[in-house]
Amino acid sequence: MNLEDDLRRTLRRESPAPGFAARVLERIDRAEVAPPVREHPGRTWRAVAASLTLTALLGGWGAHAVYERREGERAREQVLLALRLAGQKVRYAQGEVRTIGSSE
Amino acid sequence: MTAIVPEALSFPTAFQRAQAGDHDAFAEMIGRHEAMVYSLAWNFFGDRSRAEEVAQDVFLQLYRSLATIESESHLLFWLRQVTSRRCIDQARRARFKLVSLDDAGEVAATPRAADPLLDRRLKSLIGDLPDVQRAVVTLRYQEDLDPAEICRIVGMPVNTVKSHLHRALQSLRRKLEKHP
Repeated sequence: MNLEDDLRRTLRRESPAPGFAARVLERIDRAEVAPPVREHPGRTWRAVAASLTLTALLGGWGAHAVYERREGERAREQVLLALRLAGQKVRYAQGEVRTIGSSE
Repeated sequence: MTAIVPEALSFPTAFQRAQAGDHDAFAEMIGRHEAMVYSLAWNFFGDRSRAEEVAQDVFLQLYRSLATIESESHLLFWLRQVTSRRCIDQARRARFKLVSLDDAGEVAATPRAADPLLDRRLKSLIGDLPDVQRAVVTLRYQEDLDPAEICRIVGMPVNTVKSHLHRALQSLRRKLEKHP
């Protein structure tokens, strides 16, 4: 006796009672399961394109805002520098005037 | 001359139609695989109504998962894995009552059985094996899979699968020798 051969014979495939597929489909029709959702390739590409466009728009707007802020900060720095220089000039002129006044 | 056809081209149209929601195509797919799925459950539980219920549940799960199936070989693997794991889980949860000798009489009545009495006895002894051993033995001898394939299906190391097979065969031999 060969046990493995006996097992192959005992465990052979058998078909279910006739009408099995119809019984499964009946359960599907009774709305026990949602229909398969097959993602349409075109829909996927459209979603990707929309995401990229939105990212580009938001990215562009963000970059522009950063640029404007930096420009504003640079202009402010220039005004402060100009005021600092003007102040130094005025202080220098006052010093000169005081020196001339005291020597006379 | 042999033409080499890419798998995507040779993949059955019924499968693609089923993925698009065609019920007739899905019925065709069921017809192609129902014996395998049903027999895995029948050989595991030894109960025809239980096997029918499990097989129906597996195909319902397949219907929901159709979009994730990539090829015919993936489909075969998926069906074997889901059926085997479902059987083991259900047996563990319910400690389902296994085959009685009266139920096994249906097997003895099939024309392919060379020795109906031995068939019946083996069926009963397989039903007494622990759950995982029973699933491994069914995959090995019903589906003719080797331990490397079985380990992927049941999610165990290959040596564990070999050990389960070895112990199952030892146990069956011992019992058959004791009560031939």
